[in-house]
Amino acid sequence: MTDVTQEQRFFHLTGKRSGTSLGSIDGLALRPALFAGFHDLSRLRYDYPVVLVERAGDGPFVQTLSGRIDAVLEEIAPAGIAGERMRRTLLRLEREVRVLLGEGASGQLWTLWREAADRLVALGGAAIEEDLGRARAALGADGEVVDCDSALPALLVAHAWRAAQEQRALGLRRTIDTLIVKLSDLVRADHLRSELGRGADTLRSGVGASHAALFDFDVMAKLLAKPSGQSALSAQRRARITGVLAVLRGQRFVGGAAAYGYEFAEIDAAVAAFRERLAAMAEVVKAIGIAELEVAGHYTESMHDDYLRGYDERSLGAAELALFPGYLVCLGAGHGGGSARAGLVEALSQGVPLKILVETDDILDESTFSEGSFSLGTQLARSAMGLGDVFVLQATSSSLYQVRERVLAAMLYPGPALLSVFTGAGDGRTGLPPYLVAAAAMQARAFPAFSYDPAAGVDWAQRFTLEENPQSAVTWPVHGFSYADGELQRATERLPFTFVDFVICDPRHAAHFARVPHEHWNGGLVSVGDLLAGSDGAGEAVPCVYAVDADRRLHKLIVDEKLVRAARRCADTWHRLQELEGLKRTPEPIAVAATVAPAPPLPLSLPSLPAVAGSDSEPASDDPYIETARCTSCNECTLANNRMFAYDQNKQAYIKDSSAGTYRQLVEAAESCQVAIIHPGKPRDPNESGLDELLKRAAAFA
Amino acid sequence: MNDVTSTMPVMPCLLRTTETQHELADYQQGVTRWCDGCGDNAILAAVQRLCREHDLTPEKTVFVSGIGCSSRLPHYMKTYGFHGTHGRALPIAEGVKMSRPDLNVFVTTGDGDCLSIGAAHWIHALRYNMDLTMMLHDNHVYGLTKKQASPTSPIGLKTNTTPTGSYLDALNPLTVTLGVPNVSFVAQAVDWIPEVLFDILDAAYRHKGFSFVRIIQRCPEFLPGMFDPYLQDPRRTQLLFHDDGLKISTGIAKVYSNRLLHDPSNIDRAREIASVEDPIPVGILYRNERVPRYEELRHAGQLRTADQVRRGLDAELDRFTIWPAGASPASGASPS
Repeated sequence: MTDVTQEQRFFHLTGKRSGTSLGSIDGLALRPALFAGFHDLSRLRYDYPVVLVERAGDGPFVQTLSGRIDAVLEEIAPAGIAGERMRRTLLRLEREVRVLLGEGASGQLWTLWREAADRLVALGGAAIEEDLGRARAALGADGEVVDCDSALPALLVAHAWRAAQEQRALGLRRTIDTLIVKLSDLVRADHLRSELGRGADTLRSGVGASHAALFDFDVMAKLLAKPSGQSALSAQRRARITGVLAVLRGQRFVGGAAAYGYEFAEIDAAVAAFRERLAAMAEVVKAIGIAELEVAGHYTESMHDDYLRGYDERSLGAAELALFPGYLVCLGAGHGGGSARAGLVEALSQGVPLKILVETDDILDESTFSEGSFSLGTQLARSAMGLGDVFVLQATSSSLYQVRERVLAAMLYPGPALLSVFTGAGDGRTGLPPYLVAAAAMQARAFPAFSYDPAAGVDWAQRFTLEENPQSAVTWPVHGFSYADGELQRATERLPFTFVDFVICDPRHAAHFARVPHEHWNGGLVSVGDLLAGSDGAGEAVPCVYAVDADRRLHKLIVDEKLVRAARRCADTWHRLQELEGLKRTPEPIAVAATVAPAPPLPLSLPSLPAVAGSDSEPASDDPYIETARCTSCNECTLANNRMFAYDQNKQAYIKDSSAGTYRQLVEAAESCQVAIIHPGKPRDPNESGLDELLKRAAAFA
Repeated sequence: MNDVTSTMPVMPCLLRTTETQHELADYQQGVTRWCDGCGDNAILAAVQRLCREHDLTPEKTVFVSGIGCSSRLPHYMKTYGFHGTHGRALPIAEGVKMSRPDLNVFVTTGDGDCLSIGAAHWIHALRYNMDLTMMLHDNHVYGLTKKQASPTSPIGLKTNTTPTGSYLDALNPLTVTLGVPNVSFVAQAVDWIPEVLFDILDAAYRHKGFSFVRIIQRCPEFLPGMFDPYLQDPRRTQLLFHDDGLKISTGIAKVYSNRLLHDPSNIDRAREIASVEDPIPVGILYRNERVPRYEELRHAGQLRTADQVRRGLDAELDRFTIWPAGASPASGASPS
């Protein structure tokens, strides 16, 4: 073993440099090699910034700036060379908006668009101005533009929450308004039926002043003295309706000047507000229930009074609570310690419809490299999953746009929801944009994205998903990496993005790395990915990782044993999540019991039908009968003799009493029947006059 | 995002305790003024049975009609009714449905009312495809005005307006209907097979969209015997059956042996069948649930409060108000 190799191995085992062949990475501002292409984000098109759309209706609540630009181009830029100038102009404008945000600007899309356009027009002249004018007209809805920074999670989650609550409040508001109108109609109708309502003064006010002289309202009032139809509302019912109207009109949950607020800075305040409003909530639910019954005319005092008398906040179930808005609490990074987190889980377990956003901006403290639990801030989300009925979403800010539908689902979920987000913002210690830090955390499985939706299915496999993570089926995502070697030839490798790559981003942990000068690169240095995978886990191999500096020069770094162990624990944690995900595997088909008979094949032709003769409905005796099912309800027979012929429950005729008339009436009814379904049978009275002739006529209906 | 329904049953447990099952009598009202033997009686019985089978709440059900014998039907239904003006049953019904989509709206009209003076409304009602159930009582004659030729009177029919026989070929309402864009449900029934009539009306009611049901009916007073050949020879009635259409009972099959397998989703075949008048095709000719409905496209069901209605009426009336000199119109109407 050479001295150089010994020094490399010594560093790996001890984390201490000996000799002169290894260098420190302090001050190099390194980043993972796979991020070599992401130096200036303002020149890239990616998911950020996003536009929090001021939407109306069912449109998306968030869109990417790039998506908006693409939509505009699709609408106004012709295909091919004809639309090239427009495309170039708009892509420049998109970049300019990113530059503006990077300079600290913020605001609405239209405002930023105008500022960016002014810059471009100053450079490009009238043609660009014309293009941008056309594009601006096609831009669509305005909205706040937010970059991937520390403010993003709270803004995006609050925006999703408002979209969801708007939808929920609209439903409740419509229900209440509709019931108010209908109940008011009942009260108004009752008034119009009353003596006062039918009085001359009311009639006069109904006609108005212009034509009042044309009518004698006193005479009209006398004509209307007696109301038609049912009697007026009972005093009890009127009082009940009036009371319900007062509750519905005075409710503060949705709409109105004194409407309740639902956004809180502290969990305790949100829970207290919820508890304080429970009684009022029960009153509104009870009022809606009574109103629906009253409007439908189904309120039965003997049945409902007792039930409703005992209806209070304890009677509220999940379905009733789901009618009302949830309570949003956004906890910024660094909010509370372990006890606060424990309180958070307890609050979530109480069934209060809290929507809690918990931000984390630092998951790499020194405890990460100690033995023991490797939580990296994910413990909170996993604890909440254990509660069973809490919607849990964990994501990094870089992936928030990708998981936007899950964010919305969490807000629409009727029960409590926890959103745990790693912002990547930190205190600027990394020197990297928050987007890249957050993306590195997700790529490295340090802060994986997952969601648990209790409403998504009946078992864990349906509720839990890891699918938003890159290459979620493997331990580390693997990407292609190309660089120029010492002879300026293109070299390509497949590199895993491991936990070690994520740690490179944080200069606080530079001591876990030692830079190997190019002249000392040797075969004993193996990729940390290979080492973690176990293929080079034994022997003298020294794990290393690629990194690039600000000048995009490639470096090879040796990794100390502590960091490798932390990476292994990170992989183990990821594997446990994968095991949960693995429950999704389709179970083996269960053999069908042999005793179960296969379903009969569908008939390809009309099934065989019974013969025309021999119907059960036709009596075999000489009694008269009617083919009732064919009766067209034309009234001919029933008008002839309604004691002999009658209608059944379907208003179709049958012979009710053949002795209630003569045989002649039977024969005449058969002759007058439009559909010839009356069969007179044989006469009951052999002495009836003209029987021979009647029998001949009846023969046609035998 | 999911749509929000306009009303939400908050306490279904309470509603369940008051479930009622209506009887036929709950939908019956008055004594019919139709002639004895009139086919309208069979249609009335069928719709009353339909209401009972679906347990339709009478106060949530509306029958709208125009003018004619058929249009007296709302008088005999103990539901809401609107006996409209000649040919205008459909626009009235559309207005009802537009403002109250929660109601069950039926339209009863006749061959004179709908196919002549109301033809324009008929065509556009088909296009709108609102969720209405329309019954076209087709007796081939104006009966209320004592035998005048209607659009479906057969050529050569002598009536008070065509004493030497009608001059034109009869209009075929089925082929016209099947040629209109957005048509979604077309069926034909005859009043003398009440079971099939009920089944067809049942399917029409279940269809979400505009259901056009032509019901060929007898007029024993002015066209006695016109349909006797069809009544006496069941083979001149062709029943259309299909798993997705009409299912024929064994009792009916015993009498009507002339049956044709027809898939209601096949509009080309439906048009061919519709063009045949003898035997009379009876059944569901065409059904398409995917056609968009006008009330959905226009977001009907928006709440109109009394104040909104009052403001709208005031604004409309103000347009025609002659303002006193010096008065300032409040709603933009200018003094004239």
